[in-house]
Amino acid sequence: MIEVKNIKKSYGKKQVLNGASFTANKGEITCLVGINGSGKTTILNAIMNLTPIKSGEILIDGAKLTKKTYEKIAYIPDTITMLSTMRIEDAFLFMQDYYTAWNEKRAKELLEFFKLTKDEKIQHLSKGNKAKVNMILGLALDVDYILMDEPFSGIDIFSREQIADVFTSHLIEDRGVIITTHEIQDIEHLIDQVVLLDNGIVVEQFNAETVREEEGKSIIDVMREVYRP
Amino acid sequence: MRMELNSREPVYIQVIRYFKERIASGVLEPGTEIPSRRELANTLKINPNTVQRAYKEMEELGLIYTEGNLPSKVTTNEKIIQEAKDALLQDAVVSFVSTIETLQIPLKDVIPMLETHYEGGEKDD
Repeated sequence: MIEVKNIKKSYGKKQVLNGASFTANKGEITCLVGINGSGKTTILNAIMNLTPIKSGEILIDGAKLTKKTYEKIAYIPDTITMLSTMRIEDAFLFMQDYYTAWNEKRAKELLEFFKLTKDEKIQHLSKGNKAKVNMILGLALDVDYILMDEPFSGIDIFSREQIADVFTSHLIEDRGVIITTHEIQDIEHLIDQVVLLDNGIVVEQFNAETVREEEGKSIIDVMREVYRP
Repeated sequence: MRMELNSREPVYIQVIRYFKERIASGVLEPGTEIPSRRELANTLKINPNTVQRAYKEMEELGLIYTEGNLPSKVTTNEKIIQEAKDALLQDAVVSFVSTIETLQIPLKDVIPMLETHYEGGEKDD
């Protein structure tokens, strides 16, 4: 379980996180929803310790993040961080050098899943295919948790569908996933937990099926209530 | 296998209904293997945990059964299949009557129309 407890963060005078708290379970897909600037990416960065927080605590399976935690948790940022001159196979080699959790067999399986070939240069890939390679680099790590920042933003519908397909495949299996998005429609029926963010706080966390069952509301219905005054 | 999902109704209930209808109508014959949890999640683009829940519930209802590590199968119990049929008919009639009630039409006027449409409807299928 990933526990985010009352975290606060500011960039200069601007408060970005004002005491955000939520939990994400293993074996579940937790979706952080919020408009641009609501602090989604900052939360992911904070979980990965890529940005210092002012106060609060983040626990992964009950323990604070250490160097070893990076073999247990993968981060897929919203743009690929590999050098654009690399071929896909070079990027794989790079990952292999840095992570003992790298699973080459799974990476190859994912390449096939996305119908890509390993000798393609990253800079020559379309935006959608770059997003897919970016996904592969995270998904091919044998980790318990995967964080994905806006995997659907700015890419075509078929690439989005292909990426969404990953969530129901064995490639995710029993891992815990935290995903940020503002386009909930693509994954409405795929997610377990929804965390609604506004102005750096969590305004609501709920289970999508429970809300449908107990209140007869869709995720979008709840979002409308929260975000529209 | 296709299914239109309603975003305001629990997905696991929609999955159960989908199977119930097919089992009651005989599209899924007694003893037929059904897709694995992951296959179904993948086909319908829904959460595997949700499928797991639907299958668990169907198993409790006796609509499907699983022996050891083999794929789950549709029940061969005639009584359960008949009950599923009855329950679906019951639901359909209740919702039909509640629609008709507001129009205040007596039953004797409804029946001939029902008969005409029933026969016409069968041809459509």
